[in-house]
Amino acid sequence: MKDCRRLARVHVTTALRERVTFFWYLVFPLFLLVILTLIFSNIGSVGDLTLPIGLVNQETPSATADFATIIEDVFLSLSQAGTASQTTLFDLRSPDPTHDASAPSESQLNAVRNGDITALLLIPEGFNQDVLKAVTTDSGPATLTVYLSGGRSSSELAESVIEQVIAGLDEQILTTLGRFDPLSTFAVEHRTIAAADDEPFQYVDFLLPGILLMGFFTTGLFGVPGTILFGRDRGILRRYWVTPLTVPRYLAGFSMGHGALCLLQFVCLWLVGRFALGATVVIFRPLPLLFLVLGAVTFLAFGFFVASVARTANAGMAIANILNMPMMFLGGLFFPIGDLPLALRAVMYVNPMTYLADGLRGTLGIDVAMFPLPVALAVPAAWTLVCIVVAGSRLRWGVER
Amino acid sequence: MDTPPIVSIRRLTKHYGAVRAVDGISFDVRDASVFTLLGPNGAGKTTTLEILEGIRRPNAGDLTVFGRTVRHVDRGLKEEMGVLLQEGGFEPYLRVREVLQLFSSFFRRPRPIEEVLADVALTEKASALVRTLSGGQKQRLAIATALINDPRLVFLDEPTTGLDPQARRNIWAIAERLRTAGKAIILTTHYMEEAEALSDDVAVMDHGTIIATGTPRELCAQLGQTTIIEFDASGVGSEELSTLQGCCRAIRQDGSLVVAETDDFLKTMEHLLAWSANRAEGLRDITVRQPNLEDVFLTLTGRRLRE
Repeated sequence: MKDCRRLARVHVTTALRERVTFFWYLVFPLFLLVILTLIFSNIGSVGDLTLPIGLVNQETPSATADFATIIEDVFLSLSQAGTASQTTLFDLRSPDPTHDASAPSESQLNAVRNGDITALLLIPEGFNQDVLKAVTTDSGPATLTVYLSGGRSSSELAESVIEQVIAGLDEQILTTLGRFDPLSTFAVEHRTIAAADDEPFQYVDFLLPGILLMGFFTTGLFGVPGTILFGRDRGILRRYWVTPLTVPRYLAGFSMGHGALCLLQFVCLWLVGRFALGATVVIFRPLPLLFLVLGAVTFLAFGFFVASVARTANAGMAIANILNMPMMFLGGLFFPIGDLPLALRAVMYVNPMTYLADGLRGTLGIDVAMFPLPVALAVPAAWTLVCIVVAGSRLRWGVER
Repeated sequence: MDTPPIVSIRRLTKHYGAVRAVDGISFDVRDASVFTLLGPNGAGKTTTLEILEGIRRPNAGDLTVFGRTVRHVDRGLKEEMGVLLQEGGFEPYLRVREVLQLFSSFFRRPRPIEEVLADVALTEKASALVRTLSGGQKQRLAIATALINDPRLVFLDEPTTGLDPQARRNIWAIAERLRTAGKAIILTTHYMEEAEALSDDVAVMDHGTIIATGTPRELCAQLGQTTIIEFDASGVGSEELSTLQGCCRAIRQDGSLVVAETDDFLKTMEHLLAWSANRAEGLRDITVRQPNLEDVFLTLTGRRLRE
């Protein structure tokens, strides 16, 4: 057993020390996860770049120095298009500006929680008084509160735009009052509300399972031929075969190391997805985990298949490169694949990735599964079996057994 | 020769299709001795070794190793063998100590790693990545992996090919120490000096068969009272060479040298001096020496070890 453990450790160590494998196994999937999430989350949820917001004004209106009403008017005007074709920055919608002292009400906060509005701006009672005090006595800025929903990038975007609008107003008011020293009249305080459980569609939740599968795929497709064929061609394996180490034990150690690499990828991607990008998808359930393990095993077997049909290490890498793109993009990893042309649909239907991605997202409840669960499990399992049979009979180790 | 041989093979045969790489060879390796297979590339030396190392299986023949007669070399026998392959690599991104930890995990009773490192003078390089080692250091690491299990029998397949003279001497010193420590060594080489310096017994191999065996001294003695005379061949045409045929047992041009083999040194020298007196070039760069294993091989096969 110690030989297997040592081989597994060697496999992981060398993969992480070598810059190329380190990049493809860890840096690239993380990079892709972050970049695609950043690009598509904003476009997806903001759409035409109009941010639906809510505003609650608790201050009693007065005839003079009514700063609360000024702020309210600014946001109202930013929500009204000058001409029909112009898009507006905000969409100030229900709850309409109220002068309700008990606000924000639970229904208003729920609107933020559910994503109906991206942010809620609260002007507190006594705000006008606070502003005057801030200007005349330097007693510190008057506070406005923005409620936003945690982890939603559209919500964070709305919050930062609101802050900028307020900062602009602040400057204007100070200028009007003849104060030019560095001082703030308003301060924006934000409160984060946890997003609701019945979360609307978040792209990162769709993407994260896809990137996890992509990581396993890359590790299997390139890692297996890379290690085994280069090991054979450079005589690294030959040195093992003149010791009591046997091919089955080598394979056991190699597979353990491969599993450890996949686990490492999983942990890194999940941590970044969950805590940096706000993914809420719950992966730690039996069926999704089953699909992830099946994916890691399928692509490990697939890597052995590629290694067995290639004569040399370079040929193996070339074959892996040719298979890489179609299997990744026609497997629904990054985008839902719906109406593809017939030829591409054929690729999609034989691609084990399609079934793994579909089954994983289906069991995670992110997407409606195209295939019934047994089919989604059976096709990758059949691929695994075929790959193992082909590799078992064809792969040359450089030792006569 | 009272102790039984550590390795004994009889009529060992290995063929690839119609090609007989090893064609029914037999030899014994004494314990605590250096046994050398000498022969040109493609003679079947490496195939023979690979069968004994357990990475190839013979088609026919009897194989007795450590007193066990087997069809092929198995795991149990490999526990007591150390192999330095002619060609082999290590993971470039492993450290020297990690390579030895890996290899020691393959054996049931490995030696302490620090001890093996000291044996091959790699203690200072223990934390270096394999990719940063020089050719000689890599070869010493390979020897370390071959010695990690304290083997009874060590295979050295072309151990110094491609190494500089200093690195070659280091390897020879290690081989000497191993023999002193009582290990049996099976060596293949096509360096005649190496075979002469290290071997107790030599088997000369050509075309998959063994054409002569004995100690280096015995083999050279086969050539009798022969003396070799060599001199610069510039300006000596093939016709001129044939006029010299009568002066000695054999004369031929070998690269930039004319090589004459004679059983009567004085008579041949007289003849050559008389011949050279009429030549503008004279007799330049003349060397007189006793025959070596290279000459033995040449006499047996009509070809050189390295072509």
